[in-house]
Amino acid sequence: MTHFKHFTLSSTPAGDGVTWYTLHNAHGMRVVVSDRGATLVSWWAPDRYGRSDDILLGYADDYGYATNGPYFGGLIGRWGNRIDGGRFTLDGVAYQVDCNDGSNHLHGGSGGFHLKHWQVQPDPEGLRMTLRSAAGEAGFPGNLLVSVLYSLDDQGCLSIRYSATADAATPVNLTSHGYFNLNGGSNDIGDHMLMIDADQYLQVAPGLIPVRPAEVAGSAFDFRQPAPIGARLTWPDEQLKIAGGFDHCYCLRHDEAAPAALRQVATVYDPGSGRQLTMATTEPGLQFYSGNFLAGVQGRGSRPYRIHDGFCLEAQAYPNQVNGADSEAVILRPGYLYRQTTTYQLSVPGSA
Amino acid sequence: MTRIPTVHRIALLFNANKIFDRDIIAGIGEYLTSTRASWDLFLEEDFRCRLQGIERWQGHGIIADFDDPATCEALSGVSLPVVAVGGSYAQASDYPPGVPYVATDNFKLVKLAYDHLIEAGLQNFACFSLPQAAVNRWAQEREKAFTALLERDGLSGQIYRGVGTSAQSWDTAVEQQIAWVRSLPKPIGIIGVTDARARQLLQACLCAGIAVPEQVALIGIDNDPLARILTRVPLSSVIQGSLEMGRTAAHLLHQMLHGARFAETRILVPPAGINVLASSLHEVHKHPHVMQALHFIRQYACQGIKTEQVADYVGVSRSSLDWYFRRELGRSVHDEILRFKLEAACQLMQHSAASIAEIAIACGFTTVQYLHVVFKRELGCTPKEYQEQWQQGAEAAAPRNKHRLSTPLPMLDMAAAPTHHPMRAALAPPAL
Repeated sequence: MTHFKHFTLSSTPAGDGVTWYTLHNAHGMRVVVSDRGATLVSWWAPDRYGRSDDILLGYADDYGYATNGPYFGGLIGRWGNRIDGGRFTLDGVAYQVDCNDGSNHLHGGSGGFHLKHWQVQPDPEGLRMTLRSAAGEAGFPGNLLVSVLYSLDDQGCLSIRYSATADAATPVNLTSHGYFNLNGGSNDIGDHMLMIDADQYLQVAPGLIPVRPAEVAGSAFDFRQPAPIGARLTWPDEQLKIAGGFDHCYCLRHDEAAPAALRQVATVYDPGSGRQLTMATTEPGLQFYSGNFLAGVQGRGSRPYRIHDGFCLEAQAYPNQVNGADSEAVILRPGYLYRQTTTYQLSVPGSA
Repeated sequence: MTRIPTVHRIALLFNANKIFDRDIIAGIGEYLTSTRASWDLFLEEDFRCRLQGIERWQGHGIIADFDDPATCEALSGVSLPVVAVGGSYAQASDYPPGVPYVATDNFKLVKLAYDHLIEAGLQNFACFSLPQAAVNRWAQEREKAFTALLERDGLSGQIYRGVGTSAQSWDTAVEQQIAWVRSLPKPIGIIGVTDARARQLLQACLCAGIAVPEQVALIGIDNDPLARILTRVPLSSVIQGSLEMGRTAAHLLHQMLHGARFAETRILVPPAGINVLASSLHEVHKHPHVMQALHFIRQYACQGIKTEQVADYVGVSRSSLDWYFRRELGRSVHDEILRFKLEAACQLMQHSAASIAEIAIACGFTTVQYLHVVFKRELGCTPKEYQEQWQQGAEAAAPRNKHRLSTPLPMLDMAAAPTHHPMRAALAPPAL
C-alpha cells in the first residue's frame, strides 16, 4: 500500500535560469532549496516564542551562490572533504584530481556539485534533483548520476536522501554543507550546546589531512555530553590551534551488525532561542566545522559574517579515506548504488 | 606494557551545599570517569570548605571555589597547581592573578533571563539582588550585567538588594520586598540573582496578592530543584553550565599535573539552558478583548457583575466574549468572575475578622447560601470550616483536590507554603 504524504512545494525564479524551491510543512516551517548546487538556502523555523528565523547562513540572492566560497548550504560532491595531494590509486591506476585547497583536493574541486545546475524531477515525496557529472571532471573517472531527495515532514525533520550510480569505478563522498546558527544570527554559535555520539575523532596535520584517530575523552573534542562550543574553543588544545577551531571528523558510533543504519548522531541546542537540531545519518563520519573562516564573508545580513557565526555538521565518509585503510568502502562501481540518508530535525524541546 | 598510572592527590575546596557547586564537582567526576586520570579526591565529609593548614597540605593539585575571598587568600601562598572556579567579572583586573580561572558567565546568565523576559513581552524590568558582601561578588556582577543590558536598550530598571534573611528579620524583609514590588510599574519582569532569592520574592508576591506572572514575571538563576519544590507557582530559571565548568577545571588541572602552565587562562562557560515554567509565562498573546475583560472583572467582580456587563464594557456580544475566553483561558466569563470572587472571599477570610455574611456581600455573592454552595463545590468545605482552618493556623490545609475551576487558586493552595507562617519555609532549608 502506498503511503501518501502531503507536502507543499512552491518555486520562485531567482534569475540566471535558477529557481528557488520552498518546502513547507503544516506548522509553517519552510526550507528553501536552489537548483544551483541543490543548495539549502534558508530554513525558517520557530523559536521558543513562536517567532520564525532563518537558521541557515547564506547569501541574499542567487548571485552569491554562483561562486559560494564558503560552500553555504551546498550539496558537496563528487568528493566531500579533502584528498591528500589530490592523488589516489584505483584499480592500479593513479589519479590526480584538482587541488583547490593548498596542495589538497577539497569538495569536488572545479567540478564541485554545489555550483552545478541540478535538474528538478517530479517526485511524490518531496523535491528531487538530479545531476550528471561527466567522467574527467575535476579529474575523477567515470560518469556519475546523482539524485537527491529533499523532504520536510510535520515534525520539522528535513531528510536528505542521496543516491548515485557510475559507469566506471570512482570515489564518491557526498555531503550537505549547511551552516547553521540556531539563534537566527542574533549572536554567534558559541553558546550552542553540542552533543556528538562519538568516542573518537581524527586528528589532523596542518593541511587538515587526518593523521590518526584519537580518543575524545579528556579533550576539548569530547562532546559525548552536551558542551558549549564557544567555551570549548577556548580550551588550550593543539588540534584546535592547527585548524583554527573545530574542523575535524568524528568517527561516529555504530552498530557493528548494521554499520550503515540510520541512527541519531548529534544534537545542538541553543539556550537562547530554545531551538534544537537533531541529526541522524547512515554515514560513518561527521565533520564538525565551527565556521573558522567566516570572518568578512558578506552574506544576507547587513554586516559581514564573523568567525564562528555558523557551524556545519557534515555527514560523510572519512576525509582522505580513498587513500586510507578502508578505501574500497568509498569506491562506487558500475552496477552498484551509492546511498546515504541524513536527516536534520528542528524542534523546541519542552514545548508542545 | 602497562604502566600503573600515578595517583594524584587532589583537593576540592568548595562549599558544596548548593546545586551550583555540587554540579561542578559532578562535572569533575564526569571528567575523571571519562579519562584514565587517577585522582584521589580530598573534600570534607560535609562538603564544606575548610582552609586551615591548606598551605601545608601534601597533595598534587587543588580545584577551588574562588568566589570566597578567604579561599583566594589562603591559596595565594600555595605552590601546588591550582585551578580557580567562580563567577566571571566584567573587569579583567577583578580576577585573581596567576591562576587559571573557569568562570560561569554572569553576563550571559543575566542576558538569557533578560532576553526571556523581553520575549515574554515585558517592558519594565527589575533585579532582586543580595546585600553586598565579599562572598557574593557574583551578585554584584549580575547587577552590573543587568544595568549594562538596560543601558544598551535605553531602559531604566531598579535593583533591589533588600536585607539578608534571618529568622528575626524575616517578616520585615518580606514587608520590605512587598513594598518594593508594589512601588514598581506593572507588569514587570524581575530577575532574581539566584533561585533562592527569586523564590523569596515569589512568596512575597503571593503573600501580597500580587499576581505572578500576570503582574510580576519572575525568573531566577541556578535551576535549583529545591526552589521549584518550595514555590506554589513553578519558578522559571536559568541553568548554569556548572557541569561543563567542572569538566573544564578538571581538564586544566589534568594538563597542569603533567607540566602545562595556564596562569592567565580564563574560560567562560555560558548557561546550559533555561527552564521556562509558570512564573515567567507572562501572557502577552491574550486577545485584546480578553485583556480588557479581565481588567474589568478584576475591578468590578465583587460588585456582582454578570457576563453581559463585561461584554458591554468590551463592546462585543456575550457569546463571542465567551468564545474568546474559552479559547484563551479555557473557561467562561462567568467562571472567571466566580473564580475572582472566590479568591477575594478567601483572601478576606485569611486577612480580616469580618463575618461570613459580610464577606459574602463584600465579594459580590448575593446570599450567604450561595457563598456556601460555591465553597462546597469548589473547595470541598464550608466557608466556616475554611475560616476556622485558617484561624487554627498553618497546619490546617484546605482540601486541595476538589478544584473544579481550571486555574488553581494560588491563595487557597495552603499546603505548599503557609503564607501567614512564612518562617516555616525560610527556616527549614532541607539539608542535602
